[in-house]
Amino acid sequence: MRLKVRRNAGDGYGPYWEDFDIEVKKGMTVLDALFLIRHRQDDSLSFRYSCRGAVCGSCAMTINGRPRLACRTQISLLQEDDKLPPLVPISVQRGPFDPRVEVLIEPLPNMPVLKDLIVDQTEFFRKYRSLQPWLLQRYPELERENIMSKETETELDRYATCILCAACYGACPVNSENEEYLGPAALAKLYRFRIDPRDSLGGERLDQAPGPSGWLGCRFHTNCFKVCPKAIPPNLAIGKARQEMKGREGRA
Amino acid sequence: MVHIAPDDVMAHDVAIVGGGLTGLRAALLCAEKGRSVAVISKVHPLRSHSVAAQGGVNASLNNATQAGKDSWQSHAFDTVKGADYLADQEAVDILCGDAPRAVLEMEHMGAVFSRNEEGRIAQRPFGGAGFPRTCYAADHTGHTLLHTLYEQCMSHDIDFFEEHFVTALSIENGRCAGLCAFDLASGEMRGFEAGAVLLATGGYGRIYCHSTNAYINTGDGAYLALTAGAALKDMEFVQFHPTTLFGTNILISEAARGEGGVLLNAKGERFMQRYAAKAMELAPRDIVARAIWKEVQEGNAHEGGYVDLDLTHLGEERILERLPGIRQISIDFAGVDPVDEMVPVQPGQHYSMGGIDASNDCRTSIPGLLAAGEASCISVHGANRLGGNSLLETIVFGKVAGQTMVGMTKEHMVHDPARLKDLMRREADSIGHLTDVSRDRTVAELRRELKKLMFHHFGIFRDKGTMKLGQLRVHALRHELGKAGIDDIGKSYNQAVIEALELRSMLPVAEAVAISALAREESRGSHYRTDFPQRNDQDFLKHSMVTMKDGALALTYAPVRLGRYEVRERVY
Repeated sequence: MRLKVRRNAGDGYGPYWEDFDIEVKKGMTVLDALFLIRHRQDDSLSFRYSCRGAVCGSCAMTINGRPRLACRTQISLLQEDDKLPPLVPISVQRGPFDPRVEVLIEPLPNMPVLKDLIVDQTEFFRKYRSLQPWLLQRYPELERENIMSKETETELDRYATCILCAACYGACPVNSENEEYLGPAALAKLYRFRIDPRDSLGGERLDQAPGPSGWLGCRFHTNCFKVCPKAIPPNLAIGKARQEMKGREGRA
Repeated sequence: MVHIAPDDVMAHDVAIVGGGLTGLRAALLCAEKGRSVAVISKVHPLRSHSVAAQGGVNASLNNATQAGKDSWQSHAFDTVKGADYLADQEAVDILCGDAPRAVLEMEHMGAVFSRNEEGRIAQRPFGGAGFPRTCYAADHTGHTLLHTLYEQCMSHDIDFFEEHFVTALSIENGRCAGLCAFDLASGEMRGFEAGAVLLATGGYGRIYCHSTNAYINTGDGAYLALTAGAALKDMEFVQFHPTTLFGTNILISEAARGEGGVLLNAKGERFMQRYAAKAMELAPRDIVARAIWKEVQEGNAHEGGYVDLDLTHLGEERILERLPGIRQISIDFAGVDPVDEMVPVQPGQHYSMGGIDASNDCRTSIPGLLAAGEASCISVHGANRLGGNSLLETIVFGKVAGQTMVGMTKEHMVHDPARLKDLMRREADSIGHLTDVSRDRTVAELRRELKKLMFHHFGIFRDKGTMKLGQLRVHALRHELGKAGIDDIGKSYNQAVIEALELRSMLPVAEAVAISALAREESRGSHYRTDFPQRNDQDFLKHSMVTMKDGALALTYAPVRLGRYEVRERVY
């Protein structure tokens, strides 16, 4: 198999494509293949990694035109990409390639490239932090845990399981047009606090993301949901938030 | 190649190395108390290995009311017995006594725990525990705790230095006064002065192959402490988790057995009957791991060396509710759906009971230097850790470490800035030198060789001959490190440098494991000697302590602090 890697030296040299030929073994993931290259062919190839079990969120990158986690992507299964729901086109540099014999590996879109497959996530995390993504306790004086129904827990967990890998941010066509747009992950996180009965801001949480940089920026392309390694639906959160705001205006 | 950064030295009250649960818990407390805090981590904090913890966190909350009355003392007893009596009982009392408060505090901070019918935090049974006292968030408990603590840290002014690899501690007149770190993004060296330095760098699991650990767990903190003059304690106690996914060794949580999963060999026998008739699959990890390995050795396992974990009888609904992550991992990485197929599992390295010797308030023998979490050995896990006690240790002792550091501000520091700059220059030179070294060996080769060596010579079953060979080889590898250069001359994100620095940490840490294991001529907890199959309290109810002098390692012993629980035979 030939891995076509979009490289960027980080000191002004690049970007350029570089091909690496590797022997694919059963079960080999894209992350395994990248390590194989680093350890056997070129130790200057840079990419983020940590858990290799799809839970730390380090290794999101664009593989055959789709943002995804390298550790969770088996090379042999890339042949079955046509079974995945198609994405609304995003701004990746994909040249012509043959998925039967080639794998196209690029950094995530919508973020500046620092080196090879490593992107600068400063803005991604700045937007996240700007929404005060921490619980403002409603009942800090409680001596026991807050009572919470299983239904509430399930609903919270649907969004709280986000690993902040930024695959959705890279896949979002709105993020590529509007650099102010908070993006799917941050909005889903904000919604997670909106529906947390333990949070003292309650409905005011919705006011933290007004206008086209917030809830209203979404155009429901649903790329976010389609690429999420945790099957989180930010589009659903955004839709519900908009509905609630509309209801509020109706009552006012 | 490596430069001293322009704004090269910064001063904080507290410098915390590691951004996992322990580091963030300590950082949060210090920030709340108005201290200036630097968190220095080789990855973004959310990429820390804490995030991968699955099954849960123990606390005697008594929410599973049908099970009878639990108490923190029962929790402490289970922990001490699970530890094969090598834990320091006073430290265990702190761990278990503070557990309910620590877990409720996490809930108040926003952690999304699974709930029972009454809406309280749900609790499940875990190995070696007398009550269902493991609180959980489905099977992603570490994730909810780490993200929650990170969120709380975001509400404070904490200086995060992500993707900075700490290469050396600055020790002045016997006191730790700071450290220097290699900034991956810029390829520059940065200096940090601090009133106190906390090592919260996690374990050393990646000195083994077949490990559940993240790739980043290379014992860097243990190396820093060792070279600075502190002792490493009980390093021979390495936990092998019974159920890791065959092939990748990704963890399959003990929760799978806590929820009712059973283990079957290739003949379809529920073999645990022969090893722990009462506790069965929920015997402590050391016992279940040995049982599986025994089945493998006796030819009762599947080809390749694995047994089956059967969850099919739990039904789809329960699996989806309680073990969704386990299901996804099985599908993604082994191509089996536990709803209707067996999960292939085998034991793999999982946890480091040993670590940097630290007191109940997380102080090491070096003033100004602390250690907590998996990086440390206080010791609360002794010879074998119970499932659900590692997350607990991070949130209890992370806070303790924070409290200890509150009294150690930068004003107390007597410090000569020129010394730190000298250290930075020396470290920069040694990193710069990596590209000048011959390429007789590669870093990757040495690393692979070390990992295999450790698994086969210091694995689940050990004996003198095999270990002696292993030790000689590990020692030789330390000298070969000097022959393994790197090619990458780039400044930004030079990860070849990081892998070389990690190997520099791994080798002496591995040798500390080797020396301690060879000298302990008994079987206790995770340390099983086929040539000494019995526990020997008379000679070995004591902690192994390894120190370094002029590059050579020396082994001594320290007494175990016993308490109210009498040392007894350990039967399950």
